[in-house]
Amino acid sequence: MTTDLVAAPHKRQAHGLKRAIERFPFLPALIILVALLVLNGVYQPRSVSFVGITGLVKTYLALMLLAVAQTYVIYAGDIDLSAGAIVSLVNVTIITAMTALGGDTGAVIAGLGIGLAVGLACGVVNGIVVAALRLQAIVATFATSIFFTGLALYVMPVAGTPAPTAFWRTYGGRILDIPFVLYAVIILAVLLVVLARTKLAVRLLSVGDDQQAAYQSGLPVTRIRLQGYALCGLFAALAAFCITGDTASGDPLVGGKMTLNSVAAVVLGGTALAGGFGTVTGSVIGALIIGLIGSLVFFVGTPSEWQNLVQGVAILMALMAGILVGRRARR
Amino acid sequence: MKMTFARALGAVAALALTAFAAQAEDYKIGLSNGWVGSEWRTQMIEEAQAAAAAWKEKGVNVEVVVQSANVDVPGQIAHVRNFISEGVNAIIINPNSPTAFDPVFAQAKEAGILVVATDAEVSSPDALYVGIDHKAYGAAGAEWLVKTLNGKGNIVAINGVAGHPANELRVSGYKEVLAKHPDIKLVNEVNANWDQAQGQQAMQNLLATYPDINGVLVQDGMAAGAWKSIMDAKKTDQIAATGEIRKDFIDLWTKDKLNSGATVNPPGTMASALNVAVLMLQGKELKEPATAGQYKNAMYLQIPFIDQSNLADAAKQLEGKPGYYSYTNQLSIADAEALFK
Repeated sequence: MTTDLVAAPHKRQAHGLKRAIERFPFLPALIILVALLVLNGVYQPRSVSFVGITGLVKTYLALMLLAVAQTYVIYAGDIDLSAGAIVSLVNVTIITAMTALGGDTGAVIAGLGIGLAVGLACGVVNGIVVAALRLQAIVATFATSIFFTGLALYVMPVAGTPAPTAFWRTYGGRILDIPFVLYAVIILAVLLVVLARTKLAVRLLSVGDDQQAAYQSGLPVTRIRLQGYALCGLFAALAAFCITGDTASGDPLVGGKMTLNSVAAVVLGGTALAGGFGTVTGSVIGALIIGLIGSLVFFVGTPSEWQNLVQGVAILMALMAGILVGRRARR
Repeated sequence: MKMTFARALGAVAALALTAFAAQAEDYKIGLSNGWVGSEWRTQMIEEAQAAAAAWKEKGVNVEVVVQSANVDVPGQIAHVRNFISEGVNAIIINPNSPTAFDPVFAQAKEAGILVVATDAEVSSPDALYVGIDHKAYGAAGAEWLVKTLNGKGNIVAINGVAGHPANELRVSGYKEVLAKHPDIKLVNEVNANWDQAQGQQAMQNLLATYPDINGVLVQDGMAAGAWKSIMDAKKTDQIAATGEIRKDFIDLWTKDKLNSGATVNPPGTMASALNVAVLMLQGKELKEPATAGQYKNAMYLQIPFIDQSNLADAAKQLEGKPGYYSYTNQLSIADAEALFK
C-alpha cells in the first residue's frame, strides 16, 4: 500500500506532515478509515471480527475496483458516469456467456475473457466519444451509460440467470483456509503498484494537471485520455466479476447506482476531481469508508427515517476532514 | 434439609423455565429497505414497526432494527451482513434485486436466521416471499379495464422500469388478460419509470399521437401524472384509466368522478411479512407450505381492488390522513395465525 508512489507530478520540499501528505495524499482517508473501523468495533464488535472484515471486503471489493476504474479517468480531469452501466453490461454478458458455454471451469474462464473484452470495448467507446470527438465527458458518458444499460437489457431483459456454481463458490469460498477475496485484495494491491509505476499513470496525471501544457510538451493527449478510459473499462469489468461473485446471478440493473458511489470514493480518497492529483490507494480506502459509514449509521442505532440524512452528513464530514487536513498540510 | 433441596431444585427449574421462556418469546427482527424514494416505503416501515409493537399484547417482545437508505446492490448486501453481525433472529427485506442475494441469504440461513422477502420476490431457496403476486396485480388492472370498456376499444399502457422484475411480471399479467380479448387493441406501450412527471409527459405524448384511445393501463406511482394529462386534455369523460391508492388521488377520483380502478399493492405488506415471520420463529408450521411463484418460495397475499363500488370505503379509511398516505391492508396477527397449523 505504501509503495503507491504516484501522487503528483510536482514535488516540493516541505516539513513532515506536509511532505507525508504530498507523498501519500490518501493519508487523511486512511486515518478516517481506521477511526471508522474502531467506531464500528465499539458499537458492534462482531463487525470487525475476521468474518466481519471478510464480509466487508467481499461486499465492497466491487466498489473498490470501480473506484480504481474511476480514478484513472479522473486523473486526467475526465469522469466516467457510465462506469456502473459497464458493470451491469459485463455482469449480464459473462453470466449469459458462461451459461451458454456449459458452466464448467473452461466456460467460466472463457466468460471472464469475454467480460474483459466487453469492459475494454466500453472504455474505448467512451474514450473515442470524449477524447477523440471532444464531447464533454460528464454528458457524453451519461449518454453512453444509457446506451450500455440498453445493451444490458437487450442481453438479459430481466434479472434471473444464476451464475455457474464453480464461479461464485470460488469467490465466496476459501483456499488453504484463507478467504478467496483476501487473495484478490493482494493481487489487486500488486496490480495497482505495477500500474502506478507505468508511464501511463504519470501521463494521465500530467494531462489532468494542465492539458495545454501536456500537449505543448509533446504528449499525445488524445491517446492518453483514451487509454485512461480503456483502463477504466477494464477495471469496471473486474468490478463486475466481483459483483457477479458476490451475487451469483445476472441483473441488468445491478451496477447503475454504483457510479456516483465510485466518484465519491475517489474524492474521499484525496484525489482531485479536477485531475492532476491523487492516488488509486486513496480510492480503495474511499470505497471502504463509504461501506463503513453505512454500517456505522446502523450500528449506532440511527432511526430509519434519519439514516439517509446521517449517512449523507457523515460522508460530507469525512470529505471535509480530508480536505482540511490536506489544506493545512499544503499551506 | 430435604425441604431446602426441593426448594432449590424448584428455583433452578423456575429459572431455567424463565430463561427458556425469555429466549422463546424475545425476538429481534431486522428490516432492510434499499430505496427511500417514496412515501409508500416510509409507510411500509412504519406499519411494520407498529405490527411489531402489537405483539406485546400477546406477550411476545419483538424488537425491530431498521436499515433504510438509498443503496446500491452491494449496499443492501451489506445491510444483510450487518444484520448477521447484529445477531437478529429474522430479516425482512424489500430487495433491490431479485437474484443478487442468493449467496448472502445462504449465509444468513447458516447463521440460523429466517429470511423473508416482501414486495419483490427473490430467487433464493433460503428465503420466503410474503407479498402480492405482481403478475396478478397486472392482470387485475387489465380485467377491470376490459370490463369497463365492455371488451372493445383502443388502449395504451404506461409501464414502470424496464427490466425491473415487478414491472415485467405486471406487464406479463396484463398481456395474458388482453390476449383473451382480441377486440381490445393495445396500440402502444411506453416506460415512465414509476415517476409521476414522466407518467404525465408520456400520457401527453400518447394523447397527441392517439387522440381516439379509450383506455389506459398505468401502474401506481405514475397514474396521478397520467390522469393529470387526461384532465388537461379534457378527456376525462372519454377515457378509463387505472389509478393510484394514495389519498390525494382517491380524493380527486371522488371529486371529479373519474372512471378509474386501482389495484392495491398495500404498504402493509412488510407488516404482513413480519407477522408471518414471528409465527415461524415460534416454530409454527404453515398449513400450506409456501411454494408459489416462479421461485417456488412465495406465499401470495390477497390483492385488494378499488373501483366505483368501494371507492367510498377506501376514502373513509384514509380520512384525516396526509395526502401521500396510501390505502393499506395487512395480514393481522389473527389472519396470519389462521394460515398456520
